[in-house]
Amino acid sequence: MTEILLSLRGLVVGLRHGHDVSPIVRGVNLDVAPGERVGVVGESGSGKTLTMLSVLRLLPSPPLEILDGEILFAGENLASASERRLREVRGAEIAMVYQDPMTSLNPLLHVGYQVAEALKAHGASTIQARETTRDALRQVGLSDPERVERSYPHELSGGMIQRVMIAMALAASPRLLIADEPTTALDVTIQQQILDLVLDIQTTTSMAVLWVTHDLGVVARLVDRVVVMYAGRVVEDAPTRELFRHPSHPYTAALLASLPGTQHSHRSLLHQIGGNPPDPTRLDGGCPFRPRCPFAIDQCAHEEPPLLPRGESRAACWREPDSWLP
Amino acid sequence: MATVVLRGMDLAQRYEGRGKSVVNALRGVSLELGEGATLGIVGESGCGKSTLARLLVGLERPSAGSAEMSGESTSSLDGRTRARRIQLVFQDPYSSLDPRQRVRAALREVLTFHHLHSGAEDQRIDELLDMVALGRRFANRYPHELSGGQAQRVAIARALAVEPTIVVLDEPTSALDVSVRAEIINLLIGIQARITISYIFISHDLSMVRHVSDTIAVMYLGRIVESGSYDQVLDAPLHPYTVALAQAVPVPDPTVVRPHRVTPVLTATGPTTRGCDYQDRCPLVEPHCRDVAPSLDDVGSNHRVACHVAKRRTTIE
Repeated sequence: MTEILLSLRGLVVGLRHGHDVSPIVRGVNLDVAPGERVGVVGESGSGKTLTMLSVLRLLPSPPLEILDGEILFAGENLASASERRLREVRGAEIAMVYQDPMTSLNPLLHVGYQVAEALKAHGASTIQARETTRDALRQVGLSDPERVERSYPHELSGGMIQRVMIAMALAASPRLLIADEPTTALDVTIQQQILDLVLDIQTTTSMAVLWVTHDLGVVARLVDRVVVMYAGRVVEDAPTRELFRHPSHPYTAALLASLPGTQHSHRSLLHQIGGNPPDPTRLDGGCPFRPRCPFAIDQCAHEEPPLLPRGESRAACWREPDSWLP
Repeated sequence: MATVVLRGMDLAQRYEGRGKSVVNALRGVSLELGEGATLGIVGESGCGKSTLARLLVGLERPSAGSAEMSGESTSSLDGRTRARRIQLVFQDPYSSLDPRQRVRAALREVLTFHHLHSGAEDQRIDELLDMVALGRRFANRYPHELSGGQAQRVAIARALAVEPTIVVLDEPTSALDVSVRAEIINLLIGIQARITISYIFISHDLSMVRHVSDTIAVMYLGRIVESGSYDQVLDAPLHPYTVALAQAVPVPDPTVVRPHRVTPVLTATGPTTRGCDYQDRCPLVEPHCRDVAPSLDDVGSNHRVACHVAKRRTTIE
């Protein structure tokens, strides 16, 4: 058994309204080894962001709360850790970068101050913090770090702010970086730079990466393993090459087929999944992908499939991929 | 060559800030759009794509240059006439729909404003909803009751309501989930197959742009640096910037081995005062590029490029 850095065991997150609680993350199991890069893919509402926020216990509560499950980080269960212990972990051992960088910085303080502040909170001296900040800003490709430090967030572009956030996350040398669609709002050229940076850092440290994205191109370039989420559950967990070569869940196969590529003739219709993702508070007990699945059988209506082994992958589908893959 | 429905000539836009700060968002862009054709526009944020869109639909007046629609100068058209001919669909469908207005009311407003289908508006609204494959039951919904894809369909229906010649689509799929993007793209392709309509498709998603466009223009710092048919520009790019852009797009295929870091640090610098705008980022830069800005010239079969080195390689200089 290889060493595991982060292990989510049966994570359930519920949404409370009045006296009712409906689970919207419904038993997520996820392991990340030291140095491993794991991609998390899924539509809006599939629970990927809530799962990531749960790891650091950052769910907006109420109305959201962790109802069940363990969040084991280096053997310690963060689900039952004290707020004080969580503050030590956040930023230092597990760093997180969010999708919308503009809301992540205080608009009234200089950028340099905010990056240094995070380092000082974890024990760096003022001088150390200043030096590390400058290096970190340079590392993410900001050509004039001194100017960036003296700037207010509104004086920088979205791409620059996101690079500042990534610099801030990496400055403390975390053991795990959780990135929630950090490059979605950025240009492809800057995205490339950030992906290269993460890959570089990984060659010298054993930092693990959990990268949430809906861009399958980023997945192909960056991660070793992909976790596909649908309706609050993991529906496929596969090595990246396997996922692209032999998807084991019809949802994954449909996502891959919907991308325009050289295999499509110009202006031909793209494959579309059709239908809408289900409301996770109103599931009927069967497979939640069933209404959109062209391969559904009777069993799918009655029983929700667990993650079943499929070659090197695991998929939550009753049917063997060979029986439906073209 | 099909009839040209839109022609932009040396369009420029300059924003003056406080003091001496001036932003030249658009610096002499000329383009042509054929009837029923799609022109894709790509480039990084800040390259002037959205400014160009706003100028073309008349949300802003260019500080220099002119545009013609079906042969008539756009400056001679009043706002209402112009809106009948060219429409804009934005990236975020929710912010382009009034949250207090039901879908039917949003569409009716357009028809009433343009005095279209008077007395038979409801029938036309149903037709429009069918056209974007939404179905009539959506007519009574509010925007918050729609998914992102559905809201974008309403925005498209609203643009189509005036039977425009041209629709400018500014990042129409970027805010949507991957699975919904294909639906919107299919819808746009399907509409173009049924009615004569031209699109200007602005996006940073090169694979989508390639898929839907007949011709593509690549913009850098307010100028077009390369243009041509979709396969010329994206499959055999000549400008080093187009090459860098195409290589930066992650391919959804893990077996593709990318040459690691072939492009230099890609921090956009401001326009240079002298020579080529791309000189500081360019791997092919030569002394000549520091002195003389390259013009956008045809290197054969309407493939145009603004790069001294690329032009020499294709033996035109």
